Amino acid sequence: MTSRSPDTHRPLSYALLVHGAPYGHQAALSALRFARALAQRGHRVATVFFYHDGVHNASTLMSPPQDELSLQAGWRELHAQQGSALLVCVAAGLRRGLLDEAEAARHGKPAANVEPPFELTGLGQLVDAMFSHDRLLTFAP
Amino acid sequence: MILHLINRAPQHPAVYQALAESFSKGDHVLLIEDACYAALPGRQDVLAPFAGAVSALEEDLVSRGLRKRVGDSLEVVDMAGFVSLTELYSRSLSWF
Repeated sequence: MTSRSPDTHRPLSYALLVHGAPYGHQAALSALRFARALAQRGHRVATVFFYHDGVHNASTLMSPPQDELSLQAGWRELHAQQGSALLVCVAAGLRRGLLDEAEAARHGKPAANVEPPFELTGLGQLVDAMFSHDRLLTFAP
Repeated sequence: MILHLINRAPQHPAVYQALAESFSKGDHVLLIEDACYAALPGRQDVLAPFAGAVSALEEDLVSRGLRKRVGDSLEVVDMAGFVSLTELYSRSLSWF
């Protein structure tokens, strides 16, 4: 068997919770691959929430070799194609050096590495996503 | 009814045991990432509590060179099948 067809097929909104850092674990790749498969079934990833080491997915400075998969580009493409919100836990991000311009200025840091469409947000946004979306899946290392 | 996602290799039996304690009739288990090693015929002992309610993700089997070694002993689903499972089961739990 390769796929099931439920009796009623309606578009669903999904939230994906990504705990895994890029490249070191498969979690981020698994989440991105699942997101792409969702679109083929008519569903939508409304929110991706990056938490714990998953916040490293938001670094705009990631520079993988050109002939390898770019997770950063993959997330941006997801945002462009599905309008997915790319939310980054601000507390987890600050600890790991993931700052947007406002946080970099606030903490006196010389550079910022989080840019739109990625947004630094609080855990409240994750709770909102849990209640407002049809499905929540966690991808962890 | 819950869809359980597990990504740990069977060398981590405590994770499978914790899952078994949470597992209820009507639930389903999907083996992803390194959990695909539990799909090997010689390693399926950790799956006994979920007999008949386990699938393995084809893409992760293939990337580990396991696809042909699983045979018909276990249901294999592709990414579309993974999505279908999340359509059927409105709640999911990830074990890692």
